[in-house]
Amino acid sequence: MNEEDFLPKVIEIRNLTKTYMMGQVPVEALRGVSLSVQKGEFIAVLGPSGSGKSTLLNMIGALDRPTSGTILINKVDVSTLGDNQLADLRQNVGFVYQTFNLISRLNAIGNVELPLSIVGIPKKERRFKAEVMLKIVGLGDRMHHKPSELSGGERQRVAVARALINNPSFIIMDEPTGNLDTKTGLEIMEFAKKLNREHGITLIIVTHDPEIGNQARRIIHLRDGLIESDEVNIDA
Amino acid sequence: MRSGDVLRFSFSAIRLRKMRAGLTTLGVAIGIAAIVALLSFTGGLQVTMTQQFEESLGTDTLTVSTGGILALFGGGGGDSDFALLVNDTYTINSIEHVDSSVATMTKTISANFSGDEFPLSLSGINYTAYTSMYSTFVAGNGTIPASPADTDVIIGSSVADPWQNGTIVARVGDEVTIIWTGRVNGTIVMTNYTGTVVAILEKIGGFGISGPSDIGFYVPLEWAIEFFETEEISSIVVKIDTDVEDEIDTLIQEIEDAFEGLVSVTQPAALLGMMEEILGILNVFLAGIAGISLIVAGIGIMNIMIVSLIERTREIGILKGMGMHSRTILGIFLSEAMMVGLLGGVFGIVAGILIGNLIAGGMANMGGMGGFGEAFGSFSGMPEIIPVITLELLSSALVFGVLVAVIFGLYPARRASKLKPVDALRYE
Repeated sequence: MNEEDFLPKVIEIRNLTKTYMMGQVPVEALRGVSLSVQKGEFIAVLGPSGSGKSTLLNMIGALDRPTSGTILINKVDVSTLGDNQLADLRQNVGFVYQTFNLISRLNAIGNVELPLSIVGIPKKERRFKAEVMLKIVGLGDRMHHKPSELSGGERQRVAVARALINNPSFIIMDEPTGNLDTKTGLEIMEFAKKLNREHGITLIIVTHDPEIGNQARRIIHLRDGLIESDEVNIDA
Repeated sequence: MRSGDVLRFSFSAIRLRKMRAGLTTLGVAIGIAAIVALLSFTGGLQVTMTQQFEESLGTDTLTVSTGGILALFGGGGGDSDFALLVNDTYTINSIEHVDSSVATMTKTISANFSGDEFPLSLSGINYTAYTSMYSTFVAGNGTIPASPADTDVIIGSSVADPWQNGTIVARVGDEVTIIWTGRVNGTIVMTNYTGTVVAILEKIGGFGISGPSDIGFYVPLEWAIEFFETEEISSIVVKIDTDVEDEIDTLIQEIEDAFEGLVSVTQPAALLGMMEEILGILNVFLAGIAGISLIVAGIGIMNIMIVSLIERTREIGILKGMGMHSRTILGIFLSEAMMVGLLGGVFGIVAGILIGNLIAGGMANMGGMGGFGEAFGSFSGMPEIIPVITLELLSSALVFGVLVAVIFGLYPARRASKLKPVDALRYE
């Protein structure tokens, strides 16, 4: 019995396949992926473009359903869920995107509040929580700025705050440093590591950049829709 | 998501595109304004016309004529050779529920008041009977003689003062020459006669349909029979002593039977009903035109919402990615349409009330309603029309505006809600 079996599994994937139709041509993006993620892990999923990273991420984030195989998120089988239940599941997942994906007409605090607003938390309570969260990510003095008035790094920190606000079971980061300069990218990664280490937040980072990937404690290499390697990173 | 938050979110999207939302709202406002203005105006028209009818017709009279409903407007004679005669009043008087009846002989003549000549419709009547039948047959100047001489002429107030501005063409005591060209026993004759104005009626107002009128020209019936060399009359007005519908129906039937079905009996109440029906059709027609403009506005809403949907595809993806339900997305887009409809509705109602009053004001200043006025005689003044603005009209205009907005917003909103989060997030 190894250590992993004692920790609750937040994600369990077995023989996952996903086939897209690109016009008339079927594309096998995932061809039988199995893996599980324990609470508190920090995983990097690496692979060249077309390896199926994004597809895997969409499955884990409950944005899409698999073609075959099972994916359990918090013990719930995603493939059996309807659209509304899938949406409910996503309320427990934090997303950080490469392009930040903030709502441009809302200020920083408005963006961070949004996930709370979706689950119906009253204005006063969510404002308070969002303020606390923005202070945690170091944007206490930029709360009322619109995304256009913030730097790339600041925007990504707003996005991280937004991903964290709902206290999600895990956070998915899709090329979080892709649109940032190296220094700012490293800052975000440092912050992510801190979240994982000090707050035990489960992190899954998808990237094609090995340098970013090397900061994770477990590295999964994807190639042609299959897992090429899945190993512990002793350097991190 | 709480509905308050949905509205707040929708509003933030509208505020971002003020110009676009403003123009769309303007489209709705124009449609609603048209509806409110037109319907409140025709509502006012209806009220005024009903009032006029009730004043000038009385609801306790029937008109017997050979020419159907046209007789009420002074026209006479149907297609048949049958003619009503003076003595027919005796036949009618013997029928149950008939209180009294008055024969009217109508002829088109020229009246010459010391140089000013006017074409007028002359009515030969029994002054005494007419006075007792119509409360409006009252002298404003002079007196209505109880046993008139042949030359005693009574005129309506507009005949004495045709332009209503104090340019008097006839006063009590003035002489008037009646010139008539017509057919007597087959030959065309032109003849004239000089009478004296003994009374000018008090101003009656209204359109001058049936009964005493401001443009009336009255002579004693006996004299008319002599002058026109005929006992044929245009119509007989019957005063009835019942208002029970069944009894009136029986009475009408009995009158028609007495003349072998050759006369038609018109009930002013029925005429009123017909007039209201015409106005009702006019109402629907105008509302339809206004409705078209609202539909155009609806298409405008649909158009900008589709543009907005395309622009915000990514936003929809982000929201869905956070776990927002499709229903909430639908709600956000529908409330945007609803706000445009509501705002347009409110502005439209305010503008519509103003425009309705403006139209009515313009009508009053013109003093006549073109073709309408002509039909009833060029002397007829236009009574004032006050637009009828009811809570029902306003609320239904508002509801209609919002409804159009929501209906046209439904398609884009549904499309937005059906977007797949994966596709929407990938959208550039």
